[in-house]
Amino acid sequence: MAMELDYDRSLYGVEHKAGPFDVTKDMVTAFTKSIGQDGEIYNDEAAALAAGYKGLVAPPTMCTLLVRHVKLPDINLKFGKARFHAGQRVQARSNITAGDSLTASSHLKEVYSKTGRSGTMVFIVWETTFANQVGEVVADVEESFAVRE
Amino acid sequence: MFFEDVELGDDIGPLEKIASDQDVIDFCNLWGPPSPNRFTDPDEAAKSKLSGPIVPGIMTMALMAQLFTEWADQDSLKDLNLVFRQSVPHNKPLIISATVTDTRQEGVENFIDCDVVMTGQESERYVIGTATVSLPSRENK
Repeated sequence: MAMELDYDRSLYGVEHKAGPFDVTKDMVTAFTKSIGQDGEIYNDEAAALAAGYKGLVAPPTMCTLLVRHVKLPDINLKFGKARFHAGQRVQARSNITAGDSLTASSHLKEVYSKTGRSGTMVFIVWETTFANQVGEVVADVEESFAVRE
Repeated sequence: MFFEDVELGDDIGPLEKIASDQDVIDFCNLWGPPSPNRFTDPDEAAKSKLSGPIVPGIMTMALMAQLFTEWADQDSLKDLNLVFRQSVPHNKPLIISATVTDTRQEGVENFIDCDVVMTGQESERYVIGTATVSLPSRENK
């Protein structure tokens, strides 16, 4: 049976917004270099344009860098202390290229518990939707944080 | 790569990556977590009972996404859903691979579902997860 969790449920349905974030060539280049992303469209603007993109292409998970700029409230969970990044999901909807300007909107998606051999953990899942300057959704990012007993 | 080239059970990869100390510093300079932190500072890592600085989860994800952008292309990766099972170390080979678990068509789109994993040299499983990739059909070429 799932345990009864004590936290601030009034946060459901509340959107926390941030941005705009300008995606610059320098940002794309720094990201690409740090992760060793090969491919001309990520490293050569002329090649990206020739391939039909609007500019230097951001690798598909680059918007995860921006999630931390959304100020998320404490959900006041009455459980455990040790917290860690348990998982991450990116659903790519459209390409992000240098020159785009992104906005972020985050909400509390779910809070749930799981009990295994190492005891009970509570998972807090936030979902952030990124849209570009014309309102097109480019990605949805879920971050899951686990709290141990 | 075309949808018709892929069958259930096919393996994708492996792709080997290494996140050096400098790569992680460069990544964190861009990402901007509070510093010092367990990703770049040995003392902070030790406070978290880690044997050394670790690779951030979102950097790990960016490394794993390359399995699919190299196998297919930029536009192919639609969904990457990861569970961080163990801390990922700096300066060690990280082996990324996937196995096709389903192939399906939805309307005019062709999807490949995969299990994906990042392991170390001793086959320790750092990260597991699933991915969905969209591939073109030869018929629409």
